[in-house]
Amino acid sequence: MTTLKRMLPLIIAIVAMLLVFRIFVPTFLNSGNLLDLAQQISINAILAFGMTLVILACGIDLSVGALLALVGTTTVYFLTTGLTPLGLLLAIPAGLAVAALFGLGNGLCAAKTRMPPFIITLATMLIARGAALRFNEGRPMHVPDSQDVFLALGNGRLFGVVPVPVLVMLILFAVMAILLHRTRFGQHLYAIGGNREAAHFTGIPVVRTEILVYVLCSLMAGIAGMIHASQLYSAEPASGVMFELHAIAAVVVGGTSFTGGRGTMYGTLLGAIIIGILDKGLNQAGVHFSLQYIIKGAVILGAVYIDVRRAK
Amino acid sequence: MKTHTEEPILLRLEGIRKSFGGVHALQGVDFELRAGEIHALLGENGAGKTTLIKVLGGIHLPDAGSIVIDGREVSMRGVADADRCGIRIIHQELSLAPNLSVAENIYLGREPHRFGLLNRRTMYQRAERLVADLGLDEIRDVRAEVSQLSVAHQQLVEIARALSEQARILVLDEPTSALSEAETEALFAALNRLRSQGVGMIYITHRLEEITRLADRVTVLRDGESIGTQRTAHLDHAQLIRWMVGRDIKDHFHRPTSRASSLALEVNGLRAAKVNGVSFEVRRGEILGIAGLVGSGRSEMARAIFGIDPVQSGQITVDGREVTINSPRDALDAGIVLVPEDRKLQGLVLSQSVTFNTALPWLKDWITGFMPNERKRREIVERAIRTFGIKVADPGQTIDSLSGGNQQKLLVGRWMEHPPKVLILDEPTRGVDVGAREEIFEIIGSLVEGGMAVVLISSDLGEVLNLSNRIAVYRDGRILDRADADRFTLENIMQLLTGAQAA
Repeated sequence: MTTLKRMLPLIIAIVAMLLVFRIFVPTFLNSGNLLDLAQQISINAILAFGMTLVILACGIDLSVGALLALVGTTTVYFLTTGLTPLGLLLAIPAGLAVAALFGLGNGLCAAKTRMPPFIITLATMLIARGAALRFNEGRPMHVPDSQDVFLALGNGRLFGVVPVPVLVMLILFAVMAILLHRTRFGQHLYAIGGNREAAHFTGIPVVRTEILVYVLCSLMAGIAGMIHASQLYSAEPASGVMFELHAIAAVVVGGTSFTGGRGTMYGTLLGAIIIGILDKGLNQAGVHFSLQYIIKGAVILGAVYIDVRRAK
Repeated sequence: MKTHTEEPILLRLEGIRKSFGGVHALQGVDFELRAGEIHALLGENGAGKTTLIKVLGGIHLPDAGSIVIDGREVSMRGVADADRCGIRIIHQELSLAPNLSVAENIYLGREPHRFGLLNRRTMYQRAERLVADLGLDEIRDVRAEVSQLSVAHQQLVEIARALSEQARILVLDEPTSALSEAETEALFAALNRLRSQGVGMIYITHRLEEITRLADRVTVLRDGESIGTQRTAHLDHAQLIRWMVGRDIKDHFHRPTSRASSLALEVNGLRAAKVNGVSFEVRRGEILGIAGLVGSGRSEMARAIFGIDPVQSGQITVDGREVTINSPRDALDAGIVLVPEDRKLQGLVLSQSVTFNTALPWLKDWITGFMPNERKRREIVERAIRTFGIKVADPGQTIDSLSGGNQQKLLVGRWMEHPPKVLILDEPTRGVDVGAREEIFEIIGSLVEGGMAVVLISSDLGEVLNLSNRIAVYRDGRILDRADADRFTLENIMQLLTGAQAA
């Protein structure tokens, strides 16, 4: 199994990191702590799933962090203004619609114009952030306690054990992995990322596929935004800053090539786990936050260096 | 005019050997180059030409053998040694900075400067003098930006750069592979001038015609060995080909017998970018050759028919039914396939496997919903590999690792899973060695005999003339003349193409 072979270094890294942090934090491998860890990973992992598609298509999406905040505020806005029982049925579609709209905009610009995705999504990042700050004058919007279903999205536990965000993450992982690795869409994506021109000459619907990629990425940001707002019990228009960069880090640590066309959803999941362990481990080990940044930076650099060398 | 036997020997290679791991890339190469000589190096892909160049350029250290320059043995331990010996290599891929001027490119990395500041005036003066000395009038304007120049003229910039530092031995690796006929002429004229100035040139090519026209001698390389050397004054084509492939092959290519029947493709008044009203038809079971120069708009015509470039006006009819083509998908659905001119840029996903690339057009056959059928996929790939004799060790290997000929065969062969009605081939033999070329012709021949309609676009007029049943002469986005192939000769096609004819 070649996929397993490629994933092996990541799996070894995860095991090694768990064992190392176990030395500094004796409770690190307790089931409660591991479940917390999984919960903390879920938002970044969901963003990274979408980002994987975009990067595979030779793109980049800087707008996901701001979009996460915008979708959070939109959803909570509809929750608090709408009728309580109907609120959720209105709020979630509204939030996803906003996400899809931004994805459509990003995708249309990326596929149909020659503007670089970096610039397109830099611009839509600002637009999304500004739109989020329009709500409630930029102040957080509290989620009423009566919205127990919405609050369960971020805080509930299935059978009292598995955090709902982890469950959502696993379901989305399965959906995205199947989409990427088992459908024609996935093959189209690899072809476009490897050689857009050749994909076009082969009759692949390049524009449609690219648009769909950005829409999916934005939808992931939307779902992550709802979970995030639920976890915080409030929509924070200023939240999600730098989330896009953490998602990108998970994707590249997971072995996806930044030049497109190479990478897997499995790798991204493992990449997100590595980033998550690092975050939580360093925190619990009491490492000063400034040092945490430096260590994370070094790990990303090292991981990508090893990956690039292996690819040769 | 081509005898330089009295000229001193510049370079002599004796028994050069080089192996990588267990692979013997070079196993005994002898070679000699005189001053003012163009010595062609001929060989199939994988014959060791590239390795030999790298040995000359100081990139690879030979395991055995000697390199003698001006009668003295030299040790080539690095690029700097090759530089000192005056050896300059012009690689197939140009290494110019397109955004800089001709002069800036010539002196790139060695810019004249004063007080640490770039001295542009001196640079331009020197460049102008150099270009004039070399007689490279085509690039006289040394302030012009390189990206504005034609590929041939860019090649001349490379040559000027190489010769700006006392080069005495110039190695040219397939310099005409991307050039039109007119550009090739310009390059040849420049090389002839350099020859008369005493520069020794090693000229690597696949094209026999070029050797006859340009070179003084030709040496054939096969399996890392030098097989023999001939003077081009009395060249024996048959023997050259025998040397190259190590076996007799049928005299060049033969035209498949036409079994032309019903109309397969009819194009009427087609207009698109660089296409100014083109009409032609192709019948099932025949090859229509498009004879045109590079830049004449023939590739653009193919692109418009295939739905890459937008069609402005005109009709396309396939099997008697008019079709509207707005995308490659539409063209494929109508039964038209285009194998594009640039294999690496437009044809292949190089980072992916042979399997990926072969099965890519037929995703619907092996993926339904989210259920890929790996067995069906393998069958598709194996069928293509078997039917078209593609040399692949493992279908999982990246397509990058195949030879150009095998890549090209795959690009044609993969479409035959569901054979199209019309196959448009744009430069199907570019950068492909003689043996593979022959095999590609055989594939085309068998497809035509099976009733396919083929449109063949090629810069190689001999190829068009020999292979086509009918020929359309194409110039400036128009068809000037079309008729049965027997009515044309190389000379009258060239006359039409260059506009040399008065009437």
